[in-house]
Amino acid sequence: MKKIPVTVLTGFLGSGKTTLLNRILTENHGKRIAVIENEFGEIGIDQALVINADEEVFEMNNGCICCTVRGDLIRILGNLMKRRDKFDHILVETTGMADPGPVAQTFFVDDELRDLFALDGIVTLVDAKHVQLHIENSNECKEQIAFADVLILNKTDLVSEGELEILERRVKGMNSMAKVLRAQNANVPIPAVLDVGGFDLDRAVAQKPAFLEPEYPFEWAGTFEVKEGIYDLELNDGPDPVMDLVTLYLADAEQAHDKTAAERALRVWSEAALETTTSSVIEVGASQAASLQLQHAGTKHFTLRAPKAGRIGLYTQHLPSEFGLRLCWDKAPMAAVAEREFAAGHTHDEQVTSVGIHLEGALDSERLNQWMSKLLREQGTDIFRMKGILNVKGTDNRFVFQGVHMLLDGREDRPWGTAPRTNDLVFIGRKLDREKLTREFTQCLAR
Amino acid sequence: MLGSMMDALRGKTALAQRWKCDAGDYVAAVSISKDGRLAIAGAGNGSVVGIELETGRECFRHLAHAGGVFGVSLSPDGAQFVTCGQESNAKLWSANGELLRELPGGGAQWVEHVCWAPSGGRIATAAGRKVRVWNSGAESPLEIEPLPSTVSDLAWRADGTALAATCYGGVHIWPFVSGAKPRRLEWKGSLISLAWSPDAKVIACGSQDSSVHFWRLASGNDSQMSGYLSKPKALAWDSESKLLATAGDSHVTVWDFRGKGPEGTRPIHLESHKKICTRLAFSPRRGVLASGSQDTSVLLWEPRRGTQPTRYARLEDEVTALAWHPEHRGLLGGDARGNLCFWDVN
Repeated sequence: MKKIPVTVLTGFLGSGKTTLLNRILTENHGKRIAVIENEFGEIGIDQALVINADEEVFEMNNGCICCTVRGDLIRILGNLMKRRDKFDHILVETTGMADPGPVAQTFFVDDELRDLFALDGIVTLVDAKHVQLHIENSNECKEQIAFADVLILNKTDLVSEGELEILERRVKGMNSMAKVLRAQNANVPIPAVLDVGGFDLDRAVAQKPAFLEPEYPFEWAGTFEVKEGIYDLELNDGPDPVMDLVTLYLADAEQAHDKTAAERALRVWSEAALETTTSSVIEVGASQAASLQLQHAGTKHFTLRAPKAGRIGLYTQHLPSEFGLRLCWDKAPMAAVAEREFAAGHTHDEQVTSVGIHLEGALDSERLNQWMSKLLREQGTDIFRMKGILNVKGTDNRFVFQGVHMLLDGREDRPWGTAPRTNDLVFIGRKLDREKLTREFTQCLAR
Repeated sequence: MLGSMMDALRGKTALAQRWKCDAGDYVAAVSISKDGRLAIAGAGNGSVVGIELETGRECFRHLAHAGGVFGVSLSPDGAQFVTCGQESNAKLWSANGELLRELPGGGAQWVEHVCWAPSGGRIATAAGRKVRVWNSGAESPLEIEPLPSTVSDLAWRADGTALAATCYGGVHIWPFVSGAKPRRLEWKGSLISLAWSPDAKVIACGSQDSSVHFWRLASGNDSQMSGYLSKPKALAWDSESKLLATAGDSHVTVWDFRGKGPEGTRPIHLESHKKICTRLAFSPRRGVLASGSQDTSVLLWEPRRGTQPTRYARLEDEVTALAWHPEHRGLLGGDARGNLCFWDVN
């Protein structure tokens, strides 16, 4: 039996939820829709079933955050299923201050609902003018933005284009997964709201080329031509007491910043780094990153040994300019054949951010499971949402999943077919450490 | 699945079908009169159907609650019945299907539960957080102070002298004898079903967090039985108040309250359903339990004698209602497709 899709509408009072709801209900889409309202709204439509319910957030006895669910939804949706001609779609309109977590969790936790309904999407309306008042200091506001699959910046006629761009950048920084739409009177295309598809990371990937831009644990990659022999790697004082470095041999026309090479560097990075002092030798092409110990003041000289001549890639955790880093042959600094900086993405403050990880290769399901359980146990409270399309070794089907806090719902999806088998994973939450997540995810690759 | 089910039941006798009819839609509730003559069924399309239990003859069929019926309850004398569904009023009917009056639930919410006291003329309704008690004949109901959250189930004490309601956070009990005070059994959790033992000593509740919680009313002591795979919505006491049958998955778990039990004892596990067991009903005759499941099967058990089903029957969809003839002459079952079936059991 096909599961009935559920759309959750969130947004502060005055953001335009009722306007959007009325638009959805009046538009001729041929769907039988039931609306569950927690806030008294003026819905002037007869043909839809509108159910008023008090928002009832239930904590289970064990007090675990993921077991906080919406009792009213369990009850009402259970009752709605007691008829042969079912509804085609359910809309849940939450109160302005509602935490979307329990709403979403309800569809994961309750067995009955999980069998009958599928959370299609969380749509958050943002009042483009007034959101400035809440976005910095209201947890509810941040959470509503963070949980969204679709973010509608409404009432755009009340702000300037410049203000709008700043707002859009701000919300995308918090939630890179959501589709962001602009609207004046909640005038968005209805299918963009009703047919989101809970698992539709495909669309997120397709729509946002920037999202595909991989996040690497290094900020700089340089290509050098080397002879066999000993090189001197010099660093001045910099902002950090340690810095990781990876070197590898490149193929003939390959550049260090090419994706193929960068992915190889990423894998080396995922292994524990080797503590490296000025008295040790760094071997080009080593299987571990060198953790350069920079605690001493003054210029530090590290020895880099190239076992053969060729083209090498040098990858540094921070920008070389921050440390005055240079590679020298016979006391003369060498110029890189090519170099590129990578975005430093690793902010891990209290702010709500998104981390998207793109990874080539096949994952080991056992490692993946262990990592996920550990991650959710330790950080589930801070991870609001998570989605992934994964290439798991041993199956020809895509593995898709989504999660809310500590709850995961995953399944095998359609076959990969001719599509490239890669892994995309997105986290949205607080205190996310991009570097650590990327490293740990990379460690889940099958060896 | 059908094959393996049949293997399991090889040698068992199928229940003989007396009659079968179409209630029109999902059978949400059934009630049988104490004299065993009349059965009332409420359906998902909003209709109530009155049926002569012995013959299956349809006496009436009315649209009672557009959008769907949730509950039906016959009066002990079988002269009237009360229904509720997707609207803010409950409805009182005569046994021949004549609408007598509407009973407003007290707000905009649906009246989700109706329950006629086993003795005396009281009717309880629950809509949202409001519980109302109607004395037959009286125009206005007694309205009890709203509960902290929406009422999830109602049950009368077997002698009709007290009413219990569950919601998130516990059980509330209101006595209807002079001098007695209301009582509250607290427990931080979402209680979803309620069964009061026929001897009035124990109240058992299913909980959203996959456990069964019960209170011994004399001492106020409570216990929790966990280990269910999902929420145990179906609960049933045997007529002796010794066995409590519960189900939160495909197993039926029976707790024995004799002696010091059930705390610290191993429950009786009845395993034969292939999917979640949705309905449980103990016969008034000692020890015979009927269970209905999402797998469309109805099974009879005698848990004291053995853990294999003794008889079986089959509907066409998820079993959504079960009720016994008051003298154990037959079993009435309904399914999600609207089939209503009465089986002889002797």
